[in-house]
This record gives sequence, C-alpha cells and structure tokens, in this order.
Amino acid sequence: MSKITKSSTAEYFAKNLQQVGFSSPLKAVLTTLKEAVDNSLDACEQAGILPELIVEISKVGTGSSKNTDLIKVTVEDNGPGIDPDDLAKVFGEYLASSKFGKGQCSRGQQGIGISAATTWAQLTNAKGAFVTTKKENMRKAVSAQVDVDIKSNTGVLRKKETIDWDKKSGVRCEFVLDGRIQLNGDGGLITYLEGTVLVNPHLTLEYKLLDNEKVRVERVTNEVPDMPEATLPHPHTFKLGEFITHAHLFGKVSMEKFLRTGFSRISDDAIKNLKAKGLSKGLLDKSLTAVKEDEFKKVFQVVQDTELMAPSTRSVINVGEEALSKSIARLGEIDFFSVVTRKPAICDFKPVAVEVALARFKNRNLEADAPVQLLRFANRVPLQFDKSGCAITWAIESVNWKTYGLVQPKESLPIGPYVFAVSIVSPFIKFKNASKETVDASEDLVEEIRRALIQAGQKLSRHIRKETKEADLERKLAHIEQFGPILVESLIKITKSNSSRQKKAEEGLMKLLGRDSKEAIADLDLATSRLKDLHAKEAKKRGEDPDAAPAAGDAPPHPETPPAETDLFGEPLAAKKKAGKGSKKQASKSK
Amino acid sequence: MAKMHTVRDLNIDIPKEARRLADEMLSDLEKSKRPVLEAVKTSLDNSIYNSKVGYLTPGDKVVRTELNVSSVQKLARVVFILEILLNNLLIEAVNTKRELYYMCKGLIKSNKRLKPLDFEDQDESDAIIDFIGDMLKVYREELNCFANDRGGQTYSQQLVVTESLMDGTKATIDLSTLGTAPYQPKNKPQSLKLKAKKKIDFALVIESEGTAGTLQSMGFTKRNNCILMGAGGVPSNGVRGWCKLIEEELDVPIYFFGDLDAYTLQNIFRTLKAGSAASLIRNQHFSAPSVRFLGLLPEDVKKYDLFTYPVKESDPAEMRSLKKAKDALEGDPFFLDKKNKNLADILRWLMKEKIRCEQQSLFSVNPKDPIMMEKILLEKIKRGAYV
Repeated sequence: MSKITKSSTAEYFAKNLQQVGFSSPLKAVLTTLKEAVDNSLDACEQAGILPELIVEISKVGTGSSKNTDLIKVTVEDNGPGIDPDDLAKVFGEYLASSKFGKGQCSRGQQGIGISAATTWAQLTNAKGAFVTTKKENMRKAVSAQVDVDIKSNTGVLRKKETIDWDKKSGVRCEFVLDGRIQLNGDGGLITYLEGTVLVNPHLTLEYKLLDNEKVRVERVTNEVPDMPEATLPHPHTFKLGEFITHAHLFGKVSMEKFLRTGFSRISDDAIKNLKAKGLSKGLLDKSLTAVKEDEFKKVFQVVQDTELMAPSTRSVINVGEEALSKSIARLGEIDFFSVVTRKPAICDFKPVAVEVALARFKNRNLEADAPVQLLRFANRVPLQFDKSGCAITWAIESVNWKTYGLVQPKESLPIGPYVFAVSIVSPFIKFKNASKETVDASEDLVEEIRRALIQAGQKLSRHIRKETKEADLERKLAHIEQFGPILVESLIKITKSNSSRQKKAEEGLMKLLGRDSKEAIADLDLATSRLKDLHAKEAKKRGEDPDAAPAAGDAPPHPETPPAETDLFGEPLAAKKKAGKGSKKQASKSK
Repeated sequence: MAKMHTVRDLNIDIPKEARRLADEMLSDLEKSKRPVLEAVKTSLDNSIYNSKVGYLTPGDKVVRTELNVSSVQKLARVVFILEILLNNLLIEAVNTKRELYYMCKGLIKSNKRLKPLDFEDQDESDAIIDFIGDMLKVYREELNCFANDRGGQTYSQQLVVTESLMDGTKATIDLSTLGTAPYQPKNKPQSLKLKAKKKIDFALVIESEGTAGTLQSMGFTKRNNCILMGAGGVPSNGVRGWCKLIEEELDVPIYFFGDLDAYTLQNIFRTLKAGSAASLIRNQHFSAPSVRFLGLLPEDVKKYDLFTYPVKESDPAEMRSLKKAKDALEGDPFFLDKKNKNLADILRWLMKEKIRCEQQSLFSVNPKDPIMMEKILLEKIKRGAYV
C-alpha cells in the first residue's frame, strides 16, 4: 500500500488555484483585483467607514509564463487598517478569516481569496503581496512583503519596515503577477469595476487602468450600509439533523424555551400556532434532555408546517431602490430604468434578498440585435463567468419579456440596448464552485429572482409602452400624409372624376384619419399618465415630493450624478462611443 | 388581333366592376365614411372540400379591409396596382407578376410622391395582386396577369398540342418530334387543344422534373403509350392548368408519383388534385380531381424494401414535417373527407413511423437493373396499387 501523506491547506490550493479563480492569465488579474477590493469594502463596512478606493493596474514587463505580461495590481483603501501582527495571517494563510461561518452577508466568507492572490503572485513572480497598513492609533505605517509558506500554510513577513503615510488609516496592497488584461466584455476589468460601483452607492472609486485616463466616480449616498447582524437562525433554514444538534447546545431547558431562544421568529403567536398545528403542551414543556428522537422529529415537522414570519431582514442586506436608482446613473446617461428591491424571502431554507435594476443607457450596449448586458451580483460582488449555468440567467430566460415590450428569442436573454443588473444577497449563497462565479440554480431561488424581474419588467414596460405609442403616433401621422393623397389620386384616375370630387374626398379622408390620430394621441396620453403615476408612486415611496417626480426613472434625480456630457470615465460620451467600438472588438477577440 | 382566350365565361365586366368599386370608395370618402374592401378569405379555415365537387372551394368568410391609418398604405397600393391592371385589360397587354413588380418599382421611382408605395420585395406586390383577384372574385389570369412558365415538362410519343396564338394563327406541336427535349406547357392552358395520335394508356406526373427526364431518357415513353410529366415540386398554376386540360380533353387515368412525406402529400399532391387554400377562387380550373396517388405508399416501403430516413426529432425542419402531417389531419378539409381516408391514413402512418422515403429510392431496388423504377411503376399501375 502506498504511503498516505497529509498536505497543508496552502499546498492544496497552490496546486488547485484554478478552483478559486486563477484558471487563466486573464482571470488571474481580475480575481486578484476582486479579492483585494472585496476585502477593502468589507473592512470599511465593518468599521462604519465610507469607502474610498484607489485602484491602479499597469503592465510592468513581460510575464515569466508563456503569453503573459507582468501586471501590477494595486488597491488602496481608507479602511480601519490591519494590525501589523495580523498581516501574515490575512495575506499569507488560507482559511484565516474573521468572517467564516458568521451567517453574515459579507463579500468574503472563507478566507481563501486574498491568500490565493498572494500565492499566484508568488508562483509566477517569486514575490508575494506588498502590503502597507496603518491603523488610526498608529503614528507610522507598516509595510512588508507577505509570502505564503506553502508547506506549513502560514504567512511569512519579509522586508518589514515602518514608513510615513499621510493617511489616517487604511491598507494598500500590491501584487505583481503574470497575467493578461481584458478591459471590457463579460470578464473585463471595467465591467467588474462598473458592477462594483453599481451595487455600492456609498463607494467612491478612483481607478487607472493601463494608460487610460484616471477615472473618479463619486459616491451617491453617505450612508454606510449597516453590516447585517448575525441574528438567530430561522427555523425554516434547518434540517432535522441540524435541529437536533442545535438543541444539544442548550442543555436542560424546555422545548419551548429552546425554540424561543434558539431561533428567530418564534414569538408568542408562533407558539400558539404551533399548538394549533398539534404540538402538545406536554412536549413543549418537556426538558430537552428528556426529548426522544421521534419527538424531535415531530416538533421539527410541526415547525416546518407552520407559517412563520419571514426571516429577519437584519440578516440580509440590500442596496435599496433609492440608492440603486442613484447609483445606476453613474454608469452613463440613462434613457430610463426600473429598480425593484424584493422583501427578503426564504429560498432553500435560507433568507435571500433579490434586487433588480433594468436600464437603457443612451450610449451603452448599442448593438440593437445583441442580447442585453447582464450584470450578476452575489453579496454585492460581480459574477463574471459561466453565465449560462447561473440561477440569475435561468430566471431571466424564464420570463416572457415580450410582454414588457422587449424582443426575446425563445428561452434566451432578451435583445436590446439594455443593462440588466440582478443582485442576490444572502448569508449562505450556494455557489457552484469555490471561485464564486455562478449561483446554483434551485427552483426556489430562480422563482424568487423571476418575481423580482417580473416586477421590474412591469415598471420598464411603462416606459417602453410610452415610446411605442410615441412611435405609433409618428408612424400614423406620416401614413396619413404619405398615402392619403395617393389613394385619392388613383381613385380619381380610375373613376375619371373631376377636381372638385378630389378636393372633397381629400377633405373627407383627412377627417377620417384625423380621428385615428386622435385615438393614437389619446393612447399616448394614457401611457404617459400611467408612467407618471408610477413615478409618483416611487417618489412617494422614497419620501420625495411626488409632484417633482416625473424625471425619476427617466433621468437620474440625484444632484451628484455626473453631468449628461460625461460618463463614468469622466470622458465625453461622444468620445466613448467611438472608443466603445474598439473595446467591444477587443472583448470579442479575447473570447 | 384575335381576342385572347379566356379561362372561363366570366359573368362580370372587370373594368366596370373595378370602376364601380373605386367610385364607391370615393363617395364614401367624400362623406367622411370609411371605405371597406372585402375579399374572399383564402385560408384552410375557409376552405370547403366536397369529394363530389373534387376541389377546395371558398366558404363564406371574408377579409374586410376598412380604411384607417394602418390600412391606408394597403388600400393606396391596391388602387395603384388596380389602375395598372385596368390599363392592361384596356389595351389587352399581358404581364407576369414579376413584370408588374418591376413596372410598379419603375413608376414609383420616377415619381417622388409615389415613393411611400414602394415595395421591398416581390412578395409585397404579389400579395396586392392576389388581393385584387380575391376582391373582384376573378382569376389572376383574367386580370391579364400570368405566372411564369415553371414545371410541367412533358414527354409523349402520342400527344399532339395545338396552340392558338394571339395573332389568330395556330401552332401544332407533335411531342414525338421533340427528341429528348420536353414540351414546356404554357401558363395559358386555355389556348391549348390536345389530341392523341394513338390511344394513350395513362398520364404519369412525377414530383421531380429531373426524375421524369431520367425515365424519358431511359426510354419510358418509347415503351409506353403515355404522357410523362415532371411537376417540378409544388405545381405552378401552369402545371395545374395543364393537368386539368389533360383530364378534360383526354380520357386517360392520371397518376402522381412522389416522395412519401407530408409535404408531398399536402403541398404537392393535394394542390394538384384539389387545388390550394391560397387559390380558392381558381381551383375549379386549376386542379385535376381525378389524379391518383401512385406512391410512394407505405406498403411500397415494405414490398420493395426501400431505403427510408428516420425523421430526426432534434432537427426542427424535419419535425416541422411531422407537425405538418398533424395539422393536415386536424385542419385540412381534403384529408378530413372520408373519401380521402386512405390518404389521411398515410399521414397517420408517417406520424407513427417517423420516417420518410424519397421517390428516388426505387432506383436502388435492383442495382443491376437501370429501368427498375419504370418496372415498379408499371407494375403498381397494373396491380391497382394506388390511392
């Protein structure tokens, strides 16, 4: 029998980096950026700081591996900083995380990502991460190179020194690694940054990619999202085995007390309902230590059969319709948009909040016969690969978008110059893989996303309907002018009639067709007023003056939105349109 | 110049009727009333089949086109083309649909004001011409608009065709003198008269013109007193009128031979035998109800051990042919008629077996015998193996 050896976690991941997002040079750069940005945003949120991130990505040479460049990825934040003693752990040790198993909706979960980025840099460039950190209580900053000791899964600090840094607090990390850069398209760096901007309205982001101009996107809200508290679990998220194990932690208390203190949403009313469903008082009063397995099963079944309040909204976080409305305007000049934030629901025993933003931009995704641009998010992190297997894509394809005025080939994404952003937030998102690229498609989850999409589609259809009616009216008016006189003229020729008949017939024709155009005008008025109602309703929801609302949904209402002439990149939109063609080409090439 | 031969005795004066309609439209307009044009609905759901009549006839459904902003384009086009057709009738000029399409394009291009009428393709002008025919309940041919000569290449050693020409003279064509060249029937069968030099035993219409040509080159018409014709796929008006003429003027049984699939049965054979839904008002003179379906029959597949193709369920085009069979069984009055039960049974068999069989499969029955197809066809006729 061959000898059984034990390898460290670091060894496992060093050999399997493709499982955590480092499967190609392109993905290596994106994943490194993503891990660093996720960590910065999580840290800022946990400390209640409004994040301000500076990202820089440049080519610094030729990579050591074939067909790669040497890429430098730098991410700097204004977060609370990392204790210098923890640097080695955070950047150099796998599964060392402050967020693991907390039941929170943080971006990072297990503590794999950033250590994997360090490993990739180390494997391809023989140097790990260069980190500078400063906490508020430190006079000087500490900078060091962090390497992963792969044999022992520990971080090793090298070249540690203290330096001056004119920042109150923060972390700056730099990775030099073999990779390749793709800016646009599904897996592009700009797509990632735009997505991050969209679902983080409180983020100010400055970035410089390659030789492009520096771009600064200001935040549109000054509220740091309340980091979701780790609340008590909801009983409907449990399976029987977990339920029994959970009970063992409570020792010698009654079943009722266990239910009330061990779970959320078990109120007096809930207990009453449990009793009504057949749970005896005797069993509720029984001490946990005396409860037999079949009794546990009985309690569990009754609890599952009883309707309880939805899980605590505190356990999930959402961006909110208002913030999303403002944030979406940061991606470019908008024709119209619709946003929907669903109340949290239970899918697969887990609380989930789904948000959807559908928008049509004046200068984005302009290829009319191309599918909509889909931005997927899980816990506010953009998902950029393996679109076809994702619950979000499935949900979009399952909706009949034709109802809402969009063109849609059968069971496909709809067509048109739209951006569909779908975000799901949950403390326990089930990903298909460790690199968190695709959300597993369960029936419950697809249905929940689908509902949000339908709501957003209904709102969107008001805008589209108005446009259709406008076009309809225009077409009808043009028809009258164009065909009316020809019709009369031909009839006059066939019947060999005189000019007075011609005049009379033309007048009659205009009268008739005028009636039709009046109907079209009335249709348009109706569509316009329905849209106005929708705006007023949404403004009321946001606590704004409904009379000032007509612009909402058509144009960004927030004063901080960029002026119409410039876009996210601070470039004139006309210039971007030209550049856009080239970048799309680049994106398709890289595919 | 001699008068043109008409398809039938027409009981309306087309120019007069057209002028009456135009006058009515004009009067309506003068009164600010919406003019309405009505035309026979030419679709299967308005088709009636009575085996005693033998062809599809129109029901009483009509398509009403009332003037409004959406229909003003169509009505302007109808009146525009009607004017051209009326002029053709007046000067006795004849045009094909394609010629009319280009004539319209020319007139429209030369006059900026007419530009909105422009047709993107011929289908658009064809639809207007058909509408005018259906509206006046007259044949396209009666509007002096003829289809291109397509399909119907015919071979025979016995058949003599006499054609009356526009100048009043006559041309006589003895098909036996054409060598291996086919006789191409004209799109005006009403100007043709047929005569048999010697008794003709049967007429055989083959779905594929190429296969008809092959049979002829192998001596089919030398060995048999017959008329051999290639339909050229879905039979054109010319082919349909030609078959009708053979049926009426020569007392010979007519057989059709083609692929064993739903398309052949419904689109080709049914059109030849009973006309089509699109040409409801013309079927009387453009169908030959006595044509019999010689095959391929399901029994032939077994008897001659023919090569068949499975209909791939993954292939949408092939699946459409199965759907076509299903639709025909559900909504085509021809196949719903109990007289045609045997034909409907073939469709059911196709749906059940999910296979199809090409007419050319007969060539492979005996690789050593180059005239095997001829032998089988003759044997089938003799045996009465047709529907």
